Amino acid sequence: MSTHRIECTVNGEARSVEVPAGRLLSDFLRDDLHLTGTKRGCETATCGACTVLLDGEAVKSCLLLAVQVNGRAITTIEGLAKGEQLHPLQQSFMDCGGLQCGYCTPGMIMASCDLLANNPRPTVEEVRRGLSGNLCRCTGYTQIVESILHAADAMNHGN
Amino acid sequence: MRDFEYLEPTSVAEASRLLAALEDDEVRVMAGGTALMLTMRQRMVQPSHVISMARIDRLQGIEFDPQQGLRIGALTRHADLAASPVVQRHYPMLASMAERVANPQVRNQGTLGGNLCYGDPSTDPPSCLLALDAAVVLGSTRGERCMPLDEFIVDYFETALEPDEILVEVRIPPLPPGVKGIYSRFLRTAAEHRPLVSVALVAGLDGGGCHDVRIAVGASTPIPCRMKNAEAMLQGRRVDAALAAQAADLVAQDIEPLSDSRGSAEFRRDMVRVVVRRTICELFELSIDEGRAP
Repeated sequence: MSTHRIECTVNGEARSVEVPAGRLLSDFLRDDLHLTGTKRGCETATCGACTVLLDGEAVKSCLLLAVQVNGRAITTIEGLAKGEQLHPLQQSFMDCGGLQCGYCTPGMIMASCDLLANNPRPTVEEVRRGLSGNLCRCTGYTQIVESILHAADAMNHGN
Repeated sequence: MRDFEYLEPTSVAEASRLLAALEDDEVRVMAGGTALMLTMRQRMVQPSHVISMARIDRLQGIEFDPQQGLRIGALTRHADLAASPVVQRHYPMLASMAERVANPQVRNQGTLGGNLCYGDPSTDPPSCLLALDAAVVLGSTRGERCMPLDEFIVDYFETALEPDEILVEVRIPPLPPGVKGIYSRFLRTAAEHRPLVSVALVAGLDGGGCHDVRIAVGASTPIPCRMKNAEAMLQGRRVDAALAAQAADLVAQDIEPLSDSRGSAEFRRDMVRVVVRRTICELFELSIDEGRAP
């Protein structure tokens, strides 16, 4: 197996780590960088719990090799809050009850970050389509969708 | 996942040389990696070498020329295709198709070239590209060759790629004036991302009868197919709801559907009939309730 030095930016911080070719991005984040906010769920690219942003775009980290992100910027759920100040999506998921067990939440929030960056005022239908790569197995989706619409409102008024 | 060597060539020739040198090994080419990673993680394939295309600039970019048509680099992701202003303007059916592939995360990673080389029938792009009369350019140390998409797609998960060749780009000719297209599909459930039926229809609408008709069916058949009998039936005619239903019946009769856990051949044939009829009605702005079989 070949090993590779990965130089990337994770949550704004430059990282340089030697990894084997077969290291998944999800394992790189969790086991090498100890950023365990990113969850491993189905491990077959179905559930979206492992969603992170790669150069600002949502991807499933169980479906990427760490070597594929060399030279690129990753944002995980740990990178959203500014100090004690939660990201509006994090706050909104709490305020609207957009989670129950919370396992899918980091993935939901990261997918929503991408959605709202491209479409700051989505309709309910657009939110649902934007979450079509993410599964929740406990709450159902109504409050998740409400959380995102509520966050969109908050972010638009903040600007 | 089994251990492997990861290689990143920076040119088509270098990639081709690597593929030729490793012909006796278990080698896999990686574009975005969405399909490959799944098959590797499930140990359906256990390559000794993975050759990434990501650093080959020749495989990038989308360009449009009114005479030549569209050039789509093989590494173009579904999200890039959906968001491309020239694609949206000149081939709206292609942008609309790309916007529906799988889910947002996969569209941000998966590539058009990777999709075509994998040869999975239950995806959106192949039938859409077939109706748009697409061709593919294949590259190796021996140079480049261009072939129609229907020659490239040989069989279920099988393409015409030689062992040392890679897919460089997809080419789509310009659509003649007045020619429009629609891509439609049927999902077994709203949450499923793999179409059970895909139908792509291209036709010219100006004047009395329709012209330049191309119908392609995918996802229900081992490889996407042009439906030449139904095309001939519509060609030159003024299309009404009854003719749309006749053409849909003919398509349903002509296909040899897949039959698997996602749908029996009979179910697929029925759904193909429905989607073809509705697609023709939509393109020709007919009510889908007219001419429906009783």
